[in-house]
Amino acid sequence: MSARSEQSKQLRERLNNELKRVSLDHCVKCTLCEQYCPVYPVTEMFTGPKFVGPQAERYRDGDSVDHSVDYCSSCGTCTVVCPQGVKVAEINSLARAVMKVENGMPIRDRLITETTLMGKMMTPVAPIANAVLGNSLARVVMEKVVGVDKKAPMPTARSKTLHGWLRSRPKPTNKPTRGPVVFFHGCAGGYFEVDAAMKSIEVLEHIGFQVLVPKQGCCGLAHQSNGLFDRATDQVRALVAQLRSAGTDLTIVSSAGSCGGMLRHEAHEILGLDDPELLDVGTRTRDISEFLMELYDAGDLPTDFKRIDLRVPYHQPCQVRSQGIGMPAADLLRLIPGIEVVESGSICCGIAGTYGLKKEKYEIAQAVGKGLFDMVEATNQGVVACDTETCRWQIEKSTGVRTVHPVVLVHQAYGLS
Amino acid sequence: MSDVVVIGLGPAGLSAALKLVESGRSVLLAAKGEGGFQLSQGTVDVLGYSPGRVANPLAAIGELPAGHPYASIGAEKVRDAVAWLRDTLGEELLVGDPAQNYVLPTAVGAMRPTALAQPSMVAAHQAASYAVVGVRQLKDFPAELLAGNLGCRAAWIDLPARREVDSSGHMFARAIEDPAYAKRFAAAVAAAAPDGAVLLLPAILGVKPGTWRRVADQVGRPIAEVPMQPPSVPGIRLHDALLAKFKAAGGRVIIGSRVVGCKTNGGRVASVTLAVAGGTRDLRATDFVFAPGGFASGAITVDSRGKISEPLFGLPLTQTDANTLIGPDYWAPHPLFEVGVETDAAGRAKYENLYLAGDIIAGAERWREKSGEGIAVATAVRAAESIMGGRA
Repeated sequence: MSARSEQSKQLRERLNNELKRVSLDHCVKCTLCEQYCPVYPVTEMFTGPKFVGPQAERYRDGDSVDHSVDYCSSCGTCTVVCPQGVKVAEINSLARAVMKVENGMPIRDRLITETTLMGKMMTPVAPIANAVLGNSLARVVMEKVVGVDKKAPMPTARSKTLHGWLRSRPKPTNKPTRGPVVFFHGCAGGYFEVDAAMKSIEVLEHIGFQVLVPKQGCCGLAHQSNGLFDRATDQVRALVAQLRSAGTDLTIVSSAGSCGGMLRHEAHEILGLDDPELLDVGTRTRDISEFLMELYDAGDLPTDFKRIDLRVPYHQPCQVRSQGIGMPAADLLRLIPGIEVVESGSICCGIAGTYGLKKEKYEIAQAVGKGLFDMVEATNQGVVACDTETCRWQIEKSTGVRTVHPVVLVHQAYGLS
Repeated sequence: MSDVVVIGLGPAGLSAALKLVESGRSVLLAAKGEGGFQLSQGTVDVLGYSPGRVANPLAAIGELPAGHPYASIGAEKVRDAVAWLRDTLGEELLVGDPAQNYVLPTAVGAMRPTALAQPSMVAAHQAASYAVVGVRQLKDFPAELLAGNLGCRAAWIDLPARREVDSSGHMFARAIEDPAYAKRFAAAVAAAAPDGAVLLLPAILGVKPGTWRRVADQVGRPIAEVPMQPPSVPGIRLHDALLAKFKAAGGRVIIGSRVVGCKTNGGRVASVTLAVAGGTRDLRATDFVFAPGGFASGAITVDSRGKISEPLFGLPLTQTDANTLIGPDYWAPHPLFEVGVETDAAGRAKYENLYLAGDIIAGAERWREKSGEGIAVATAVRAAESIMGGRA
């Protein structure tokens, strides 16, 4: 048996045993998942989470014939809204992985998921990389050759990585009063969204924590969303070991909205990893806003915030919502005097990790995000808040409005910037 | 720490949460998924059959046996609760009188009593005659079956919501929010409609309240929306409006995480345990409202041996053996559906700070007597008022 068919057989077994048997028959066809799906209403190419999931799954006994499942953006909303506990998103992610193993994978999907590699290659040549990505001819070539849409948002390379900053900055002067936490910044936080990661560290230090930042690679979420389960598994396992190297009983605070979700549930539920080490890391991981709100609820968060008179549209990314923690970033920003938070009310910005980069999905992603972009344009006063990197790039590219991690405003309110 | 944690996002949970947050309490609402109002007809049933068809629900409530959820609340409090919901949502969403049922056609042409309905529906009450228009690309609305059962004529229009041979009602409702599409839709309906005093249309006339009026004006005849199966557009309107009001008043919501346990301290619930991604969180509060639904949502379960239980708090049920509670006649009453939890006069069960609302409460076969939303709202308001110490 070839490696590919062996892999396909294993994935099919999981699909049948873990998901189908225990979850699929709970579907009562209430269609709430279709109602909340961000992709289904904007394109006929995707027939909706219920149809490609709990319904079509019953017919996927032979070849993977239904390619519409590849138009799912993996936002996870269907599982969040299901009142019967059906793992719709997990069923569909696994079905797509089977399909990609059996039918092959576009080279583009292998390239755009290599976020750490991109960061490592682009940082030393940041001005050149930015010039190339800002060059429309280069982007046309990129679209033709690898299928990344020429209008899709691309990260801006920074001349200094987070770890470069950590090595060169003056050591924090205030003594930690609360003990250590481990900081998880994700690969985007390490290479592209360095500002959000730096400010997260400074906020945590400001309120008294010692912040440990172990060397860390990619969580594998982008590979997983593209059905590349083997590569995703290797990456998340390596990351788990790196995060555990900083301590095995410390809280892990994450500024990478979606990647935190990978550690907390997706690697377990979608990749099917049962490692005790992964589960340990998942249990200890907190989104930074969630972490600060837990301190607040316990009466332990300093709230000597400076006033910021600002109406700020806030968009909660789909992959933060799917962690089932409510909306801690909005709650946190509302503690800052003068800030008026306007929740976007949108399910998804469209990008969904790498989905909206692909040339055949770019227009779909823009249609998914349209309500959000209109809302941002109508309500913003120069800044938008959003917890996840690629969503920020998508919002900023589509609206022209500066889009920051919520912690950036907290940093400002503490007088740190 | 919140003043109140509410579990459940159906009509009961949302009503209790809204009432409490409007009284100044800090409220956290937790639900394992999206809520039940969206699966409903978008009307408020108070009492439709008892056992014959009821014209005045409030008068009929006085005749109900002890043990019915309404019996310990009383007609006046039911009236106040239902009127509160109507007035809170406003006349663009709910109209009617809890003392007077409408009788409105269903999508299969049966006549259904209900106390409050949406303004887009009520022209169908006691109409002199009807006509029906269906949409070819909306197969969930069987216009000819509906017309046949009402003894009137049906016609079809051919107007896809998008490039699709069969779309859901929700997809049509989104399309109708586009004024250009709404205009084409209204023109097609006006051209096709048979004679009849009131024109019955599928309940797809806009996701937002009030959009239907644009269509009605352009059709130029009295129309009435007929609710369909999920995704129920009128149900979505009520859900969206209640949730938006709750959030605007400062309520916090967690959707997509299941409450899996509780911690108690003597006779009180200290916290409930929420299973979020990667672990559990204890949600502490002074009071708890438990509005999780009943059998349909899995809040009350029956195992393969017929044992009935409420797994979360282990609340005592009125019956625990399902084997004798389901009769051989499908259409006859089945006592199983009256099984639930009995509460005290304040709406509490087992713990002194645990208040119940909605389908979890014993004593009514709601789908048979058409009382689901009324019981939900009346018990939710009772729970909220008990927590507020009787102050409205």
